[in-house]
Amino acid sequence: MNPLEWWLVLAVLLFCIGAYGVLARRNVIVVVMSLEIMLSAVNIALVAIASFRTGVPGGGTVFALFIMALAAAEVTVGMAIVIANYRHRRTVQTDQYDELKG
Amino acid sequence: MPGGDFHPWLFVIVAAWVLVCALGVVASKKVMYSAVSMVLCFLGVAFAYALLHAELIAIMQILVYVGAISIVILFAIMLTEVQDGEYRQFFNRQAIAAAVLAALAAAAISVTIVAADIGPIGEKTLNPGVRELSSLLFDRYVLPFELVSLVLLAAMIGAIVLARKEEERR
Amino acid sequence: MGLSGEAMRWVVALIPLLPLAGFIVTLLVGRRLKLQAHLIPVALITASAALCVAAFAWVLEHEGEVFLYRSFTWITAGTFDVQWGFQVDGLTGVMLLVVGLIGMLVHYYSIGYMKEDPGYYRFFAYLNLFMFAMFILVLADNYLLMFLGWEGVGLCSYLLIAFWYPKKSASQAGKKAFLVNRVGDFGFTLGMFLAFVTTGTLQFTGVFAAADAGDIAAGTLTWICLLLFVGAVGKSAQFPLHVWLPDAMEGPTPVSALIHAATMVNAGVYMVARSYPLFVHTETALLVVMIVGAFTAIYAACIAITQNDIKRVIAYSTISSLGFMFMALGAGAWVAGIFYLFAHGFFKGLLFLCSGSVIHAMSGEQDMGKMGGLRKKIPATFWTMLVGALAMVGVIPFAGFWAKDEIIGATFVRGDYVVWAVAMVTVLLTAIYMFRLMFLTFWGESRADVHVRAHIHESPLVMTAPLVILAIPAALLGLVVGLPPEGGWIHDFLEPVFFDVESEPFQWLGEGGLLMLLSLAVALLGVYIAYVLYRRRTELPGRLAARLPFAYRASFNKMYMDEVYEVGVIRSTVALATWLWAVVDVKVIDGAVNGLARLWELFGERLRPLQTGRVQNYAFSIFAGMLVLVIVLAWVWGS
Repeated sequence: MNPLEWWLVLAVLLFCIGAYGVLARRNVIVVVMSLEIMLSAVNIALVAIASFRTGVPGGGTVFALFIMALAAAEVTVGMAIVIANYRHRRTVQTDQYDELKG
Repeated sequence: MPGGDFHPWLFVIVAAWVLVCALGVVASKKVMYSAVSMVLCFLGVAFAYALLHAELIAIMQILVYVGAISIVILFAIMLTEVQDGEYRQFFNRQAIAAAVLAALAAAAISVTIVAADIGPIGEKTLNPGVRELSSLLFDRYVLPFELVSLVLLAAMIGAIVLARKEEERR
Repeated sequence: MGLSGEAMRWVVALIPLLPLAGFIVTLLVGRRLKLQAHLIPVALITASAALCVAAFAWVLEHEGEVFLYRSFTWITAGTFDVQWGFQVDGLTGVMLLVVGLIGMLVHYYSIGYMKEDPGYYRFFAYLNLFMFAMFILVLADNYLLMFLGWEGVGLCSYLLIAFWYPKKSASQAGKKAFLVNRVGDFGFTLGMFLAFVTTGTLQFTGVFAAADAGDIAAGTLTWICLLLFVGAVGKSAQFPLHVWLPDAMEGPTPVSALIHAATMVNAGVYMVARSYPLFVHTETALLVVMIVGAFTAIYAACIAITQNDIKRVIAYSTISSLGFMFMALGAGAWVAGIFYLFAHGFFKGLLFLCSGSVIHAMSGEQDMGKMGGLRKKIPATFWTMLVGALAMVGVIPFAGFWAKDEIIGATFVRGDYVVWAVAMVTVLLTAIYMFRLMFLTFWGESRADVHVRAHIHESPLVMTAPLVILAIPAALLGLVVGLPPEGGWIHDFLEPVFFDVESEPFQWLGEGGLLMLLSLAVALLGVYIAYVLYRRRTELPGRLAARLPFAYRASFNKMYMDEVYEVGVIRSTVALATWLWAVVDVKVIDGAVNGLARLWELFGERLRPLQTGRVQNYAFSIFAGMLVLVIVLAWVWGS
């Protein structure tokens, strides 16, 4: 196990924890938070690889930067949706968002 | 060694910090606790970046995640109070299956990574610093850069439109 | 006068086309014309009849020649090539005369007979369509085109029999005619297939040449002839496919006269006669034809003697006469058979039209038991019908005598004594039932209802004129064309068609004359018996019927043929159809289709819970799928 593998395993664990949160929590805001964790996990993996392997100059780091920016945008819009939805449905429970039930 | 020296103990501390805080986000019963855990987790991630000698990214992490994203989420939490009397169940029905799935995924992917024997390649290099990064951003990656700014603009507008109070209709 | 080839082509083409045009036009504008609707079809058919005479004149003039008119190619399919072509020879000439003249007369007769009918224009349209089909049948130069006409007359037969379709029995009779015909048509079709397969063509000239050259195996040729004969059995109402003809009397009388006496039923005889070059090579088929014909003749005669409906008696007598014709063909008396056909067309048509006149006079009554004493009241009808009856029975010097006698003589000369005996008995029976009809209808006290009796009147001129016109050839035809026997004008005329037929010169004072005297005697004996039974000792028929109940019932009930069909064929077919419907269609097919639909429904129902509407559930599936992918890929890439 070389250091890179350690970092990658850390990223995987973080990712899966975040995945669990996305899949298992009822509060939609907690779901979004878990999503952010997943994104961070990916960022870690990217930066780790960029650190340990040469190849594309600065590729990993720039990628991580962009992910960060887009994560910010996504959270913003997501929260706006949650708030707007809350105004109508008065709930943040994901179980209650089932109007497209077949 | 590329990426600088590896300090195993520091790594373990940072890793533990991040993972514990992540678990806190995912497992807390109260939303606020999850939010605070998340902030701490982000801090931990910033440290991780620092350990990887990606200082700029670490700083950006704190600025963007801890500074902005966390605030947005906190605002959202405050604006969407859970009503009293609502049946409090924090985990939905597929929680157990999700846990199993996540565990399985973690195991499988980790095993794959280790088995694939991904190792360092190349000589000792440092992550790009500010100067290098900026020249990269405005030279090689200028197109994505501009597009991201567009996306941010759209997100801003979208968020404003979505979240404003509805006008009274006569 | 001579017709050029060019003019003849026009004549031959127009003969069927004029009535076809009449049909179309009458259908389109007939309803508006109401009682004038007959003008166009009658005019056109008169023109057609005139052209038939012209064609006949051409044949007279060009003795022995065959006029061929090959028009366009009708069907091509690979090696199968059929052309629309007409041919006119002696046989065609005779048929054209019969069909054209009698057809024309029936049209005129119908003007009077159908006057009150609401479907007036429709009737004439159908009549014209029928004439078209019949002309095609007679003029065709290949089996397929003939079959077109064949089917066409079958269709028109159905349309006209079921003309008064609101009446249940009429529509059923029409269907019966069509279906029974169909059975015959099936045989015809098979025969055609066989002929085509063995000779590669359906044109008469082609097929006959192949047969003459010996290109067709003997067994195959026999089969072809037998199958074609099956078609004739259906169309010409021979046993066992005769059952439709008596029921066909549900149609208006002009229809019976035209289709079931003079034209359509002759199609079978014509077809066999036309196929002479084929039949000549197969003894077996000829034997079958003769036996079927003879049996049918006596069978029908046995039934006719107990029937009470005036039209039924004549219908059965038609079946019997057709049997005679086939008997003639089978016995090798080809010319005699056609001669009889020729004469029969006239006197049978006359008999039907006369019966129509009687029914008209009796305000629609058809039961002879309610008639009587009409002799003085409707003289024109009476005298013409008498002529017809005498011709039918075969009394000298009327037409029927010469023709019938020739046929009977031929069977004797060939040594078929059994057939000869059967023929003689049939002559006796024919005379009996025919004059039974006459005596019951025209002599004695009227047994009619009071109201009916008051209305008895002679038919209008438009109806009686055709009767008189038909009576003339019925009376004189034999003398004109049939003498001397075996050597008369008609024999010379048809000689080119039936070239191989041997005929010994007729001896007036020898065997020929003796047989002739014998058949005449038998016929007169029959007339006398009828006179005794129905004029003198009228209680006898009743007593005879009581003494022989079995025979009487069998005869009265048409030998239970319809019942035989009902039990033998219809019940099992209906049972099969019902089974197919209840089991195969409802259970199996509907079951399968509905079952399939239910299956999908079930699928949908089972799969429905998957759509919970909750994103997290979907995310779970995505994640799980991704995991599977990762594992699989790791496995694949690892190895």
